[in-house]
Amino acid sequence: MSEDRRHEIQELLEKAGGLVPGAARQVAQQTGIPEADVYGVGSFYHLLARPDAKIRVCTGLSCRMAGADDVLRAAELNDLPVEGCTCLAGCDVAPAVLRDRRVLPSVTVEDVHEAKGEWENLRSAANADDEVWFGAVGPERDDPDTLVLNLMGDPDWSGTAFRRAVEIGADAVVEAIETAGLQGRGGAGFPAHIKWNGTRNQAETTRYVVLNADEGEPGTFKDREVMLRRPDRVLEGLAIAAHAIGATEVYLYLRGEFEVPWTVIEDGIERFAAAGVFGDIKFHLHAGHGAYICGEETALLEALEGKRGMPRLKPPFPVEKGLWGKPTLIHNVETIACVPAIVDRGGDWFKALGRDEAGTKLYCISGDVGRPGTYELPLGVTLDELVEAAGGYVGELKAFSPGGASSGFLPASMREVPLAFRSLGGVGSMLGSAGVVVLNSDADLRDAVMTQLRFFEAESCGQCAPCRIGTRYLAHALSKNIANDTTSGAALQHVADAAWQMNEGSICGLGQAAPLPLTLALEHFPEEFEA
Amino acid sequence: MSDKSTIKLNGREYDFAPGETVLDVAARHDIYIPTLCHDPRLDAVGACRTCLVEIDGWRRLAPACATQLEPGMEIASENERIDRHRQTLLSLYMTDHPTDPAAAEPGAPNELHAMASHYEAPMDWGYMESLRDARPDDRNPYVLFEPDLCILCARCTRYCDEIEGVNAITLAGRASETTISTVDKLSLMDTSCELCGGCIDVCPTGAMGKKMPLVRGDKPERELDKVRTTCNFCGVGCQLDLNVDRDARDGQGRIVKVTSPPVGTTTNDGNLCVKGRFAYDFVHHEDRITTPLIRGEDGELHPASWDEALQAAASGLLAVKDKHGKDSLGFVSSSRCTMEENFLVQKMSRAVFGTNNVHQCAAT
Repeated sequence: MSEDRRHEIQELLEKAGGLVPGAARQVAQQTGIPEADVYGVGSFYHLLARPDAKIRVCTGLSCRMAGADDVLRAAELNDLPVEGCTCLAGCDVAPAVLRDRRVLPSVTVEDVHEAKGEWENLRSAANADDEVWFGAVGPERDDPDTLVLNLMGDPDWSGTAFRRAVEIGADAVVEAIETAGLQGRGGAGFPAHIKWNGTRNQAETTRYVVLNADEGEPGTFKDREVMLRRPDRVLEGLAIAAHAIGATEVYLYLRGEFEVPWTVIEDGIERFAAAGVFGDIKFHLHAGHGAYICGEETALLEALEGKRGMPRLKPPFPVEKGLWGKPTLIHNVETIACVPAIVDRGGDWFKALGRDEAGTKLYCISGDVGRPGTYELPLGVTLDELVEAAGGYVGELKAFSPGGASSGFLPASMREVPLAFRSLGGVGSMLGSAGVVVLNSDADLRDAVMTQLRFFEAESCGQCAPCRIGTRYLAHALSKNIANDTTSGAALQHVADAAWQMNEGSICGLGQAAPLPLTLALEHFPEEFEA
Repeated sequence: MSDKSTIKLNGREYDFAPGETVLDVAARHDIYIPTLCHDPRLDAVGACRTCLVEIDGWRRLAPACATQLEPGMEIASENERIDRHRQTLLSLYMTDHPTDPAAAEPGAPNELHAMASHYEAPMDWGYMESLRDARPDDRNPYVLFEPDLCILCARCTRYCDEIEGVNAITLAGRASETTISTVDKLSLMDTSCELCGGCIDVCPTGAMGKKMPLVRGDKPERELDKVRTTCNFCGVGCQLDLNVDRDARDGQGRIVKVTSPPVGTTTNDGNLCVKGRFAYDFVHHEDRITTPLIRGEDGELHPASWDEALQAAASGLLAVKDKHGKDSLGFVSSSRCTMEENFLVQKMSRAVFGTNNVHQCAAT
């Protein structure tokens, strides 16, 4: 049976109103894909699987700290078609709420009452015109000399960097990336040039570039801000990458909740296309449909191909066998947006901007700080420096999560550890996506850990047992600890073994890192877990 | 570089052919590596994680089923790290699985239980109720899905897809709620399912079970005797195992179910169709004719021995031939006959009665 139309499954289900009875059968007839397959795919993505939930309240850590539980309860009491959800990449505008596919910033209980029971009427008073909104960024200046992303700068549609890349040739471009020491900014910190070389040196000549804009790591929202403010950099970076590896097709995978960034990127594509800047390079926009795991690069490829977003076994890596089995260069939004400036100003310039490691870094900061937002600072600043840029601490620092839910919690005593890939890795945590969440002394750390564990439990793809069962097991154990239930032995007795197994046995990074919130908290805050 | 492709497994050198996996070579040399999601007929997915091995120079453990060998690889399938991996993995599995042996094994042997006890995995990590949806209203008469027992190895869905090409079932949902479903949770009767029962055969834990023995409360499979036989529903000659309860029916015995012979041992490679796997209850039906019958002068049928019956048939046929000529006879054999039986029918037709009027009902 032909698989030609498989990649359309999610979009067609969306058009059919989600996975309502009969929809899968209808899409199966349209595509020629077996109906059970279609159903299996649709049921994987929560925006498709539960189409009745028109309002979704983020119950991530920063949103809960800002009152998301109250907003959710108010929405339930107002009979809105609502459910809690895991993360909306709006920790700086907490609590974030999704209305259909649009993220509303800083929604209050009053906003919910104002909707008068009609979900379509829900507005955020903080965004009264319901138009494009931006998060806070820093430094608040247009400074192309010391800022790589330069979020306050005006978009540049001239395509200068792309033309320069064509002029100096692919070898020189990749050399500049290598000299720059650019590391993947999606979480892994993997040297970018190795992926570029890995892709362009394949014998197979059909190659793809893929943009990972499935930002969903709790605490993280920088990619949203880059797409909103510098779509030029994102698209030009992709075009340079495509040219360097010999690809003409570029796929952009934006999480489904990024309705606003989508329109900005779409406009940018049209703008560049009208000017004919990028020659025969074509951009294809794809929406996600609700699944954190699709930020894992091979799960994202599966989603693009119209399958359940279950990560692939590696090796082979995407540089060798990626999208539709072809060599694929896949990068996070921030990583690719660094490329034009590197080509323009050279690798050495980029490298020198960093402190511990190369370049500047977009740090997302939320929680108990004065001005949550996205801050471009030298890679390797300390927490105190970051928080100073973000309006200072609110209350007394108790703990912080340095790089998204997967990075766990570190104590105030580790505030001097540089916020960089290597140094945080050295203390058993990670920089990850640099989604920093600050907790002050009012915070219930056990509850914060529980929030993270629930997140992983809900977002595990379910493919492999260590992650599927392990994420649930840890949340189960901690809930017993919180309830002081010791009927089946000490609640946390087997947590170390389960965490070890999840790390060793899981197929992908989700399961491998999911125990960290609990294990690091047990290491640094043992007193919080005593009966 | 040596011209032979060799690897080292647990310190010993072995040859391998291009494309072979760690598991292929281990199996050839009787080195046991546990698996749950593996089936040699299916593409490897490495999802159950039981077969992870350690490869020198690799940071992470690798699935033996899906890792293709490269010359010079040094692999360990037994060491402390792997022991701990197997034990903790199986302990974790058991938090999501009935631990009571009776509940865990209503029908087919439960490979997960056997593995957990083989590796002495601690079973005291606690128990979490399954969140996997069942399909209680599925009115199909044969296949019962018990989600509590499901470990989501996806052997059933992959078998249905890759071997049968039917795609009636799928992994559905996500996280702990992942389950096996049909489109819109419909009854198998309302899907592309052909009720071959292959899902039951490949299931390592009995989550896919046979409705009839389960609802009738027959003995579990391990208490039954297996009798290898040839399916007589058509001429393909599939081998199948009758699972017989010798004590049933006051010692006359009863076929409780049909199972597939192990993969790779018979020409049908464990595959059966709905008839071979499920249509056996006629065997003990009270209306079934169990002796030959000859119609007597009185017009009634009377029980007879095989010798008497064959004699009656032979003399009747010869009488027709003598009276009307050899081509007044014609022979049609049943599609339920085996190829060998069909051969004998045409031999009898041509050599014994001298006519070419012979046909087989499945021929066109």
